[in-house]
Amino acid sequence: CRASSDGKPEKFQPPPKPVIIDKQKQRAERRFLSPEFIPPRGRTDPLKYYMERKDMIQRRKVFNIPEFYVGHVLAVTTADPYANNKSNRFVGICIQRGGKGLGATFVLRNVIEGQGVEICYELYSPRIQAIEVLKLEKRLDDNLMYLRDALPEYSTFDMNMKPVPHLDDEEVRVNKLQVRMKPKPWSKRWERPKYNIKGIKFELPESKMKEAQKWSQPWLEFDMLREYDTSKIEEQIWKELNEELKK
Amino acid sequence: MMPIWTKSGERHAVTLLKVQDCHVLKYISKEESGGKTAKLLVGGKNLSPFSKPESAHQIFKEAGVPRKQKVTSFSVTDDAIIKPGTPLYAAHFRPGQFVDVTAKTIGKGFQGVMKRWGFKGQPASHGQTKTHRRPGAISTNKAAKVYRGKKMPGKMGNIYRTTFGLKVWRINTKHDIIYVNGCVPGHTNCLVKVRDSKLPTCKESNKNPPFPTFFADGDEKLPEDLFDEEIFQFTEPSVTYT
Repeated sequence: CRASSDGKPEKFQPPPKPVIIDKQKQRAERRFLSPEFIPPRGRTDPLKYYMERKDMIQRRKVFNIPEFYVGHVLAVTTADPYANNKSNRFVGICIQRGGKGLGATFVLRNVIEGQGVEICYELYSPRIQAIEVLKLEKRLDDNLMYLRDALPEYSTFDMNMKPVPHLDDEEVRVNKLQVRMKPKPWSKRWERPKYNIKGIKFELPESKMKEAQKWSQPWLEFDMLREYDTSKIEEQIWKELNEELKK
Repeated sequence: MMPIWTKSGERHAVTLLKVQDCHVLKYISKEESGGKTAKLLVGGKNLSPFSKPESAHQIFKEAGVPRKQKVTSFSVTDDAIIKPGTPLYAAHFRPGQFVDVTAKTIGKGFQGVMKRWGFKGQPASHGQTKTHRRPGAISTNKAAKVYRGKKMPGKMGNIYRTTFGLKVWRINTKHDIIYVNGCVPGHTNCLVKVRDSKLPTCKESNKNPPFPTFFADGDEKLPEDLFDEEIFQFTEPSVTYT
């Protein structure tokens, strides 16, 4: 043992306690409530949403619907009575998630042999046999409909793509890709502020961008009647979901 | 409205109807009512007794039931008479039966002839002076009058209409909900009259109903959910074709 400079024996300092970062607990903290569970604002009886939620939970117990956002690349196998093997596999990037309750849908887009194809699937349809997430990446926007007017290379995905390995980390990576567009005319005027798109590299002249700002409605974000605070509703539904799925 | 899938993978849209505090209020015999069959007055959805005078509460007091928002009459055969005061439940109907639903349509107010009767109107341009949504001619020269019942602008909606032959897909006995195929007149949360279908094609499916009605305090214990045979249950695995 070392003698201190004072000459007195040093008091025993225990080593610092190791801080155990429990990764499983951290993973559980990340909540994802699928958007179709949140009831829309309206005058319908909450009993209707409760009945729908019971059915949705029933379906989720039997069939695994993975967590996915707009921008993920998914592979969906559906049962098709007119196909060779009675099943149909489609790979594509999810450009939109719509609908609430049992009728929730998601649109997958891919370019096959030069032809752009978009298929709208219902999440809870019994004809879907498997949904696999091939690539996990969020994009800058919630709605990637502008991919229709973008160069086809941004929507092409190989049909036999291998699933990209992804650790069960905290965050889903956000791809800050700025997409290049085909020359105008587009199907919608994506430069207008109402679409609020951040994922396009606009190569339009400054005058056009300024003119597009004429249609901006800056008072919308302060409109209190449009506010729909879903935090409490989401908490309740999250608790209900977890209790039911554990059974 | 909700989607529902059959075992063969077809998708149908379904309306949810809730049976809320329905009681039989009065029995009117064939001679009293002056019709061909006896009538039963049924009331639905409880309301507070304070907003109406005492004279209006007569029928409800005799039946021993709180005041109801809506009172309708059903024509019944003599063997299906129920004692006034019995509650009626959703289990009165069974999946696979066909049903007629009556309700007041959504009121649209005073509407023009194009929306109310579906007239084509006139072109938007090519010289039309102040005439784009008008009815045009209302009668011929020889008639020299306008016929009664001529389609003209007026108040549209807020009248009773019936949709016939709707199939019952599912019944929830715990919350008293009937899942009925297709759409139903009226706005969300409006009061609706549900009756066994009178269509000749639906007579066979309505052969074995719970007669005269489903009694909750009886011996029959029904499961919480009653499904039609063709419905895809979510407890089963996904549909496959062979």
